[in-house]
Amino acid sequence: MNRKTNPVEKIYMGIIFLFMYAPIVTLIVLSFNKSKSRAKWGGFTFQWYLNLVQDSEVLNAMANTLIIALIATIVSTVIGTAASVALTGMKRRTRSLIMGVTNIPMINADIVTGISLMLLFKVLHFDAGFITVLIAHITFDIPYVMLSVLPRMKTISPSVYEAALDLGAEPFFAFRRTILPDLAPAIISGSLMAFTMSIDDFIITYFTKGSGFDTLSTKIYSEVKRGIRPEIYALSAIIFVAVLILLLLSDRMKLQSGKLASRARAGGNEKIKKIGGIVALAGVSLAIILMALAFGGVFSKKSTQVFVYNAGEYIDPEVIELFQKETGIEVVYDEFESNEIMYAKIASDGAAYDVLCPSDYMIAKMISNDMLMKLDWPELPNAQNYIGRQYYESAQAFDPSNEYAVPYCWGTVGILYNREMVHESVNSWDILWNPKYKGEILMQDSIRDAFMVALARRGYSINSVDPDEINTATADLIEQAPLVQAYVIDQVRDKMIGNEAALGVIYSGEAIYTRRENENLEYVIPDEGSNVWIDGWVISRDARNIENALAWIDFLCRPEIALMNFEYITYSTPNLAAQEMIEDEEIRNSKVAFPDDETLSRCDTYVSLGEEGDRLYNEAWKKVKSAD
Amino acid sequence: MSKELISLSHISKSYDGQLILDDLNLVIHENEFMTLLGPSGCGKTTTLRIIGGFETPDQGKVIFDGQDITALAPNKRQLNTVFQKYALFTHMDIADNIAFGLRIKNKTDQYIKDKIQYALKLVNLEGYEHRMPDSLSGGQQQRIAIARAIVNEPKVLLLDEPLGALDLKLRQDMQYELIRLKKELGITFIYVTHDQEEALTMSDHIVVMNQGYIQQEGTPEDIYNEPENAFVADFIGDSNIITATMVKDELVRILGHEFPCVDKGFGTEKPVDVVIRPEDVELVPRGQGAIPGVVSHIIFKGVHYEMEVQAGGFEWLVHSTKESPVGTEVDIRVDPFNIQVMNKPASEDEQALGVEEA
Amino acid sequence: MFRDSRKAGAVASPYFAWALIFILVPLAMILYYGLTDPSGSLTLANIIAIAQPEHTKSLLLALELAIISTVICFLLAYPLGMILAKNKMSSQGLITTIFILPMWMNFLLRTFSWMTLLENHGVLNGILEFLHLPTIHVINTPAAIVIGMVYNFLPFMIMPIYNSLAKIDDNVINAARDLGANAVQTFLRVTLPLTVPGIISGVTMVFIPALTTFAISTMLGGSKILLIGNVIEQEFTLTYDWHLGSGLSIVLMIFIVVNMVVSAVSEKKDES
Repeated sequence: MNRKTNPVEKIYMGIIFLFMYAPIVTLIVLSFNKSKSRAKWGGFTFQWYLNLVQDSEVLNAMANTLIIALIATIVSTVIGTAASVALTGMKRRTRSLIMGVTNIPMINADIVTGISLMLLFKVLHFDAGFITVLIAHITFDIPYVMLSVLPRMKTISPSVYEAALDLGAEPFFAFRRTILPDLAPAIISGSLMAFTMSIDDFIITYFTKGSGFDTLSTKIYSEVKRGIRPEIYALSAIIFVAVLILLLLSDRMKLQSGKLASRARAGGNEKIKKIGGIVALAGVSLAIILMALAFGGVFSKKSTQVFVYNAGEYIDPEVIELFQKETGIEVVYDEFESNEIMYAKIASDGAAYDVLCPSDYMIAKMISNDMLMKLDWPELPNAQNYIGRQYYESAQAFDPSNEYAVPYCWGTVGILYNREMVHESVNSWDILWNPKYKGEILMQDSIRDAFMVALARRGYSINSVDPDEINTATADLIEQAPLVQAYVIDQVRDKMIGNEAALGVIYSGEAIYTRRENENLEYVIPDEGSNVWIDGWVISRDARNIENALAWIDFLCRPEIALMNFEYITYSTPNLAAQEMIEDEEIRNSKVAFPDDETLSRCDTYVSLGEEGDRLYNEAWKKVKSAD
Repeated sequence: MSKELISLSHISKSYDGQLILDDLNLVIHENEFMTLLGPSGCGKTTTLRIIGGFETPDQGKVIFDGQDITALAPNKRQLNTVFQKYALFTHMDIADNIAFGLRIKNKTDQYIKDKIQYALKLVNLEGYEHRMPDSLSGGQQQRIAIARAIVNEPKVLLLDEPLGALDLKLRQDMQYELIRLKKELGITFIYVTHDQEEALTMSDHIVVMNQGYIQQEGTPEDIYNEPENAFVADFIGDSNIITATMVKDELVRILGHEFPCVDKGFGTEKPVDVVIRPEDVELVPRGQGAIPGVVSHIIFKGVHYEMEVQAGGFEWLVHSTKESPVGTEVDIRVDPFNIQVMNKPASEDEQALGVEEA
Repeated sequence: MFRDSRKAGAVASPYFAWALIFILVPLAMILYYGLTDPSGSLTLANIIAIAQPEHTKSLLLALELAIISTVICFLLAYPLGMILAKNKMSSQGLITTIFILPMWMNFLLRTFSWMTLLENHGVLNGILEFLHLPTIHVINTPAAIVIGMVYNFLPFMIMPIYNSLAKIDDNVINAARDLGANAVQTFLRVTLPLTVPGIISGVTMVFIPALTTFAISTMLGGSKILLIGNVIEQEFTLTYDWHLGSGLSIVLMIFIVVNMVVSAVSEKKDES
């Protein structure tokens, strides 16, 4: 009975502890990092904590997370407890059958549960959003409650309850006074478990949430690919520390109440109750504080809205604020990672968003699939006056009579390389196949861009639908895969800044920004040619807020707004008035931002590949991804 | 008496600074049924665990058959234990449970099979080979625990409150069963219990313990009839323990009345404790006994009546086959040889071991 | 408590309705989509699609990584469970504090944090460099995914193993020693078999999420490594083929059902 922990055991526990907490410490450290990029330590700051108070997006997500978790916990606790009580009285076989069904959401893979619910909601034409997520959470929470309550229920003798009935109590009163107090600890631990699961869930929420609705998890996931905004670190650090304090507090209370109980068996009860009350109070007040912090955004719901679906990091948040202030229209703003993901979303629910910002080839595809609405041009004076003619002409490649799209940004695709790590001239896509740079290459995680690189390198059309050419390109990409460090999208930027890779395929718009942060980075368009792309604003055919969507588009075409936006996102603007207003001469004349005609003559726009082409590319891409 | 088998010398043990055993010395002889008896926390289980090898004493030695085994691991000792609440292996069937020790010793399959049969027969559970422990009653599980231990042919069987979890009737049956087993096996039993009746029924030799000290050792008759101190007297059976004064040899003053007795050598006018068993108190008509009193309470217990009598400012517990209704005026009489005189605890330390604590 | 089964039925009815609509019907939907093509006619093509090399590969890789992660989790969790049980750290408080607490830091953030730790110029390599040790390349490799899985699912292994270890009566261990078993024999013949139910539930709770994850592989595998979870996810979010996605989900569920049957059988054995 010598229960001394020996040193080996202590070291072992220490290692596991370190393993569990290293990432958490890292996050807390990051929450004080002045640099936005997690790759760099830029000094100590409280800035993100201060910003948090105003970051309505993050706070909204937080509020959603808490509200969903809270309601789901309460509902699942009631349903689960009632079911457990009733089940105890049933036949063994019935009971085990029902428990089998109950356990399904817990044992089944989250992805299957999520997909199955998503399919159900789609078929029932339920609008995905708050309610669907709530239903999903209740569904997976119930088993946790039942699993905690049912075993406890089995140990409770019904005679107390019967005695209460015998003494004349109504059944519910009898239940509340006799069974419930005995069940309470099990109910509490079950509902705590449910709450925790709900807070931490990502996968099921991901599949059941609709547009414009995010919990913290889905918000984070949509930001992961390009780097998470530091305010989220700050928020998580606050939550973590708050929960830690609460747990320590309740542990200490428990310890004290334990001592009290043994000291004064008879009289101590009141005191224990009091301490329990304090703990509960602390918990409740913490929840209230967090909620109050989060509610700011929720209650200020405005009557008019516009649902905007844009690529990630593709707007100055200030612009959204200005638009809201000026028009009084609330912007529900979501971001997609790639055109394909955006397409899948709109294809499954055309009314999910009003106004979208896809790329050229995707606009063509959407037009041909009748997913877009013709624009009401008289409502768009700024778009007519300030966007350069030449850009409308280029746009005719995908929008033949300029009926659907207003150009937003344009640019090229090229190679960004680190001069410190690449000591040769970079003028060909070939360098991305050079084994010398194994593990130092970042490719775009986007079907068209990845294939563009391979096709252009071979001198094929970047819009090829020739199976042989695609097969060659696929083989090339598979050959390249072992050299590639990762397929990423916006992360290319952070990784290149942080010297994580030597070469990366990137959009010209990022070149200016990355150059600012790390002067060793150089952008080139290879000699074989590349893609010149235009992203444009379009309105979904099933849009519900058409006028607001038009107002949104036109607002963005206002020269000073376009300028402000350009300076933030550094993607070339087709707004001529804004171009002229750029103060920094170097940028105004930058060949990266505004390439010359010679360069442009080497570049092609993407066109839609058609259904068969899409299928070829999709299958080829899966092969590439599973090659390594 | 037969040969010494185990001897504990100067054993001390404490947990978290609390002394559990203090300089304990004990000798166990071959082939005896020895019982460690005492209230919970008296150190009896710790003593057993030290013999079994599950605890190492802070000080002192355990000698087994002439060899020092103090630091020997339990699996190397030639003794086996029957644990409180049986401690059967719930993932194995009965046969596998019984065979556990034999398989460890690499016995042949045939040998193991025979042993299982033999052991099950011995504990009257033939045909239970393939049952799982959880499907057996408490009493049956207990027998399996015994069978599992004895197939290893230990020289000593340690039993840690083996009957504690059984109900009264079963407990009595198992007591006889254990006595029978002990006779058939012809090995030493060391038995731990807090139940004095169990101890008196089965043992050859009882060691009464309290607070880490041995209070008295002896045969059941010795312990019952001649408790050496108030603790033993109180712990073993019901008794009237009264503060008294030894007037001189063979005369003691109890509650102001002088009684002749058989004890000598306590000195003159010395404070002592006397123990009088309730069945030794006679109620006689007023005027015929030593102390006058009144019956205040009576219950029928089957074999006898149990009465409380207020006499001389003391509440006497009396067992008698004759009924005396409440309110009856009686006199108390005690035969000289039924008065057991004991020394009062001399120091505070000894006081601590006394009645109040029990 | 309810001798009257009609009353019991009434109290349980909200739950029955819920389970029917939100558990069973959705699963039927997956079966429906998985077994039909876009025109609605019955087909096995979506299930047979698992035989396509890229699907088979992602499934096999997912199985491999999930098995490795489960084994590592087990090897890490068992000794830890024994230490915790031995030291009677049963004051559930400590266990919860240690292993539930991280769950309050968002799952994705925690995983994301491993990117920062494991990157080529990340924290871990920084420390190694500082100590003049060779740096390691882990990020965007299967090893990084395994680390992420182990990290996220370890608590689900520790809990049931600890619980089953803590339930073992000290005297059962003592009995084995008493009957002549040495420490190793006691562990192999008594401790380990007695914790089998805990091990099975731990294995289930680690293996299934590991087999089906897509977030961890996306984040720590640099989208370079496609697991079956990623393939299914992409069928729904990228290529927009619900039928194929459902078909592959059915394949995935076969593995889950096998796992469920195994654990149910062992549970029954345990009950008897």
